[in-house]
Amino acid sequence: MKRDYYRIIVLAGLVSLACTTRVSEWVLLNAPANQYSLIYFHQNPIDETVRKQNQKVVDGIEMANIQFIRVVRSEIPEPFYGLYYGGRLFSKYKIADELKGLCSSPLREVIAAELMAGKLCVMLYLKTGIKEKDEMGLNALRCAIESSPFGKIITMHELSRNSKDEYHLASQLLNVEDDLNDIQEPMLFGIFGRFKALEPLLGKGITEENIHLMIDYFTAECSCLIKDALPGTDILFSGKWDNPQTALLNKIIDDNPSLGY
Amino acid sequence: MQSDTISYDNLDGFDSLNSLNGINSSDHRPLPKWLVDQKSGLTSIQPEEIHMKEDHSLKISSIVTLTFIILLLVFLTYYFNRKHKNQAS
Repeated sequence: MKRDYYRIIVLAGLVSLACTTRVSEWVLLNAPANQYSLIYFHQNPIDETVRKQNQKVVDGIEMANIQFIRVVRSEIPEPFYGLYYGGRLFSKYKIADELKGLCSSPLREVIAAELMAGKLCVMLYLKTGIKEKDEMGLNALRCAIESSPFGKIITMHELSRNSKDEYHLASQLLNVEDDLNDIQEPMLFGIFGRFKALEPLLGKGITEENIHLMIDYFTAECSCLIKDALPGTDILFSGKWDNPQTALLNKIIDDNPSLGY
Repeated sequence: MQSDTISYDNLDGFDSLNSLNGINSSDHRPLPKWLVDQKSGLTSIQPEEIHMKEDHSLKISSIVTLTFIILLLVFLTYYFNRKHKNQAS
């Protein structure tokens, strides 16, 4: 009887803790990244060279949120690799060399380190290369971060959509929604959790007000509504998410409880 | 994968949100669901709604008291009548 009583007390404590955790921290601690599938489509039996080449690919993506599958298809003219996420084709690659850097890149390493260090989120600004368009959104972003009480725990990075070093990252971001590739506007992605990218603000929608709404989303108490339908798309990343630092957000809210509502 | 966006055909009521997101009405591009929810306050924990309840306590108390008094009267009447009868005999 006494044991049951203690169990109920502990359970109630855990439930109450879960409800006061903020979205950014809850997602980092509890929501594993969704899996991608890299599918090698081929028609003829594969030879030893291709087998070795695929093994190399598998070794390269071993630690990432992706699985490798081989599929025999009779109707394809030549073999290729298809990158899928949630049943949607993100990219096609003709040769294995094109997969270099698929799951890891310098910018992704930096962003992951920042998320693991307890930052609230990372604002990733995807530029078009058209200076006038890019500057407008960048100014709004800088102003929003400066005026936010959480500005110190938000980092910001710029990335060109034509970047060669970060080709795969830019490509995955442009697949967060299926029409983004065709829109030549700057885009602002909020990155949080285990490299989850929110659907972006874009073009003239990159306003201070909308950026503050995005920050409010990350700092909100994690309600069941959010947990059941997490927005965003997980980005491919080869790394571990064990033992992140305590969220820096908690200290700010502890010092200023009025910011927590 | 289902796109995390809302779909709508009628732009009435969405104009202000569209302008917030910089989308021309002609684009007909749905807004991210998280932005719509955040704007409408759906993702925040809603405060408990307080409803006024009808207070029946006075009625219940009166009925209980009245019943008690009647029962007491009946009992005492019966008791004294019986006692009186016994003494008379």
